[in-house]
Amino acid sequence: MDNRELLNRVVDGDERAWEKLVERFAGLVWSVARSFRLSAASTDDVVQTVWLRLAEHSARIREPDRLASWLATTARNEALRVIRGHSRLRPSDTIDDHSEPTASSIEDLVTDDVTLRAVLDAFAQLSDDDQRFLRLLCAVPPLDYQTIAELLGRPIGSIGPTRARCIERLRRLLPAGTDPKERLT
Amino acid sequence: MTVNDDEMLELLGRALRTVEPVPDHLIHAARGAWAWRTIDEELAELVFDSALESSGVRSEDTARQLTFRSPGVEIEVMVVEGGGRRIVGQLVPAQEVTVELTGDDGAVEERRTDRLGRFTFDHASAGQVRLTVHGESGAVSTEWTVL
Repeated sequence: MDNRELLNRVVDGDERAWEKLVERFAGLVWSVARSFRLSAASTDDVVQTVWLRLAEHSARIREPDRLASWLATTARNEALRVIRGHSRLRPSDTIDDHSEPTASSIEDLVTDDVTLRAVLDAFAQLSDDDQRFLRLLCAVPPLDYQTIAELLGRPIGSIGPTRARCIERLRRLLPAGTDPKERLT
Repeated sequence: MTVNDDEMLELLGRALRTVEPVPDHLIHAARGAWAWRTIDEELAELVFDSALESSGVRSEDTARQLTFRSPGVEIEVMVVEGGGRRIVGQLVPAQEVTVELTGDDGAVEERRTDRLGRFTFDHASAGQVRLTVHGESGAVSTEWTVL
């Protein structure tokens, strides 16, 4: 069922359709919110606000095909509100002070899978900008370049080349002997 | 042996989803947002937020100002910090009506606006809130907003 159909059903009062939307886009909203490296509490606020916004706007989404983009943009705006908000909602939120732990540091996360572990270790060594960019590129369902460009405030033409450079940096940080191919079959 | 760019991203995506899946409480909250669909009320959209205008510089002294607009009424809101969070607002055009403040926990507070359409909520909680104006021609609710 496409987004338009699901939204129509939501407007008609079909709660199952809403759950389908949540299932389809929860990961995307989470990835975008996480990319801002806010505190865990503020990341929660951003995610929750996005879903409340969709609930109240469900009858007003003009381009259902671009719902992923709408959700991502809404998450970006809410994150900026938290970051720039005059009210210090959560004392730990600042743009440049990462001494407070974010929702979870990649370094602390554990997986038994050797290859995934290696990829995460490499990822953790990248700059904040690279990590943010890659998080957005990994979102499922995928975001189009136009949306990613808007989220990052960069020209759309720069997204392709930056993507290639970012991935190359990630690849070079993989320890010798890692065989990612194994995981992809 | 070498993986191409798409495969590399696929692998990273898989790794990130493995170690930081969407937390259950957020899935739960997302499902619960269903209850907050606006069906009968008109929606007042957030059309101005001083928090987004400031060029990334946090100003400690200035109160945050927001404007919500619906076809029938404009709701001007100021968030004043210090000794608890106060929400001071005004309806344009001015009208003497009831204004509700709803928190994301479902708690509702009510105020009557004065002759100039002004209202105040002291000690507003953190998190998402929305205002509902019960005017003569029906209810108007603002978008959910983190104040």
